Amino acid sequence: MRPLIVIRWALVVAALSAALAYVAPVARGAAPGAADTAAATRTGPSAKNTCFDCHSQLDDSRLSGPTKDFPQDIHATHGLGCVGCHGGNPNDPEMTAMDPDKGFKGAPARKDIAELCASCHANAAYMKRFNPQPYIFSMAEFRTSVHCKKIAEGDLKVATCTNCHGVHGILPPRDPRSPVNHRNVPFTCAKCHNAEYMKGRTVPTNQLALWRESVHGVALLVKGDMSAPACNNCHGNHGAVPPKTRDISVVCGNCHGREGELFAKSKVAETLEFEGKRGCVTCHSNHGIRPPTDAMVGLEGEGVCGRCHTAGSPGARAAAELVPRFHTFKSHLARADSLLGVADRLGVETAPGHEALKQANDALVGLRATIHSFSLPPIEAALAEGEGLASRAESHAREGLRDWRNRRAGMALSLVVILALMALLIARIRQVERPAA
Amino acid sequence: MIGRLREWLADRLGLDALQHLAEKKDVPVHRHTFWYYWGGMTLFLFGIQVATGILLLLYYRASADEAYESVRFIMTQVSFGWLIRSIHSWSANLMIGAAMIHMFSAFLTKAYRPPRELTWISGMVLLGLSLAFGFSGYLLPWNQLAFFATKVGTDVTGAVPVVGGFMLRFLRGGEHISGGTLTRFFGFHVAILPAIATLIVGVHVYLVQRHGMSVPPSVEDAGGPKRRMKFVPNFMLRDMVGWLAALGVLALLSALFPWELGLKADPFASAPAGIRPEWYFGWMFQTLRMMPSHILGIEGELVAIAGIGLGGAVWLLAPFLDDPRGRGQRARMMTALGVVALVYIVAFTLLVYRGAKP
Repeated sequence: MRPLIVIRWALVVAALSAALAYVAPVARGAAPGAADTAAATRTGPSAKNTCFDCHSQLDDSRLSGPTKDFPQDIHATHGLGCVGCHGGNPNDPEMTAMDPDKGFKGAPARKDIAELCASCHANAAYMKRFNPQPYIFSMAEFRTSVHCKKIAEGDLKVATCTNCHGVHGILPPRDPRSPVNHRNVPFTCAKCHNAEYMKGRTVPTNQLALWRESVHGVALLVKGDMSAPACNNCHGNHGAVPPKTRDISVVCGNCHGREGELFAKSKVAETLEFEGKRGCVTCHSNHGIRPPTDAMVGLEGEGVCGRCHTAGSPGARAAAELVPRFHTFKSHLARADSLLGVADRLGVETAPGHEALKQANDALVGLRATIHSFSLPPIEAALAEGEGLASRAESHAREGLRDWRNRRAGMALSLVVILALMALLIARIRQVERPAA
Repeated sequence: MIGRLREWLADRLGLDALQHLAEKKDVPVHRHTFWYYWGGMTLFLFGIQVATGILLLLYYRASADEAYESVRFIMTQVSFGWLIRSIHSWSANLMIGAAMIHMFSAFLTKAYRPPRELTWISGMVLLGLSLAFGFSGYLLPWNQLAFFATKVGTDVTGAVPVVGGFMLRFLRGGEHISGGTLTRFFGFHVAILPAIATLIVGVHVYLVQRHGMSVPPSVEDAGGPKRRMKFVPNFMLRDMVGWLAALGVLALLSALFPWELGLKADPFASAPAGIRPEWYFGWMFQTLRMMPSHILGIEGELVAIAGIGLGGAVWLLAPFLDDPRGRGQRARMMTALGVVALVYIVAFTLLVYRGAKP
């Protein structure tokens, strides 16, 4: 009898345990990613490097300095030693390691640095050993740069690879500490492009100050928007040049695609080129570019059209016709937005209205881009489309508000019915409780 | 014809016995009779919950991908869907409010005295079930506020010593709030809790019927109720006036303050500002919030949970702790306890809405 009881209780306990495990599940296995930790830790190659061993012991900082930063240099972390650039024998612990007869090159001359770097970085097959999608440096591109041209002319006070990337502590551009990291590029350029260094040259030196305050500078430095342009996005990096008059709309158009495309096809672009004016810069400026506003369209106030057009000219007349319609569209959008906000607060359906409003706002963005065509028909078409969408958003909002009013009317009606029923019930109670005559 | 049908049904269903019971049942009339209506009011609102809940079930889909969209569909596309959902949500709040009034009035008029101990306990269980209904239902629209309120609510459960971890996983269906939690809460809300609640409501109503309405000791001391009122139709008609008034309040609230849906839950978003539980959990939330981090070396949160647990146990066992006649020093102490609990709950609930911080 007793074993039966034990078995019965064991079964009950087992069933209860299984039930508890079922209702309160516990995650099984190790935390995801735990196994990757070991794989993520890499050790550098243990090849012999007597250059480093000796130079790190030297008192002369000119000779020992390079060894301080080199361990974190991208070349060192990929197993490349001093010999790659300087030659010599890294296995020889004696001074004979630096025998020119054995290939020792010493510090390369400034004019040869780009060629030396290119010997590896322009070699796609070699670079693929370290990265399946490597950046391949082009000496041909570098030769198009003002920097390279000046070096070729014997002016060695211009930048070569090491001035931007560093020398013995080169970090990959994605490293935030790298001088060529996107956020650091403007400050790296400004190391040379400043009033003191550029003394005696005709190059302007206020670019950094202007750019920092510009819409691009604020986006990159303050808002941390890594898609905002730094110097190299407009000027190029290895082939850095000031964009020519003609190229500016192409340069801006690289990011502002629709505006660039419309502008390039416009008559205004043709006229500006003919007059030697600098495309987009004519209205927007360059390094100090401010966030564009709708007030820029027109001749008055902040309007920039007056820089070329005089009152009464065809351009001025077109602006006078468009600007009021443009502002009417914007006020229509604001009204639809406000009505939808009211409808939202009242708890009625607003999703289709918000969808139409979103499309209308997109149409406003499209309209702002279309202005760069400087042609009335596409601008009018964009205006009409936006107006239609804003009207649709507004009518959805009004429909919602009507629905809300109907609900209140329904509520009032139901309250009347309820109150009437209550009155009837109270009358019935009085009738029931009236003392019998 | 109708008379014959009635006779046929009466023979088979025993309608005469029921009619006899209804005719016989009466309610004492005295200065506290008003509080007798709150039980019926709670039951009426429970009926509204069942009816509107069934209607919502026709369209609701219980999955993390579809729940929010289905509630949005109910609110925007289904005819009177907004009304049904708003009534369901408002009625839930009114029902818990009515249940609390019913509980406090029963406590302060000492309606739990023998032989009504089980009526009191079953009522307490029903209040607990109502809170569970509220907690589980709150997550079902799968919106941002509900997601994080449920996270905070279940975190508190996880802080309970020994069984906390189990309770947390039991409620969440895992370590975190997920689609699994939603499915689980849906199951609690529409199957498990209604089944238990229906059973306990049956027991509670049966016990009320069996023992009749309790007369408070103060009325007994004054010579008992001067007269009695027939349950059918006098009390019943008054009950119906109250129910109609409740229906009017529901229509008013639903039309003027439709229940919001908010934004869809996003587990990766940061918790919205001003997150707080439903008002009926507010006093517990505020107690936890105002606790110091440690009291005598014990975590403040644990002390608060233990205190609330102990208070709940005393409250539940009130019929056995109070004087059976409801008189004397012990009875006065229990009344004082009830008043303190009432003031504490009201004050701490108000503090939540005044944004008080420790």
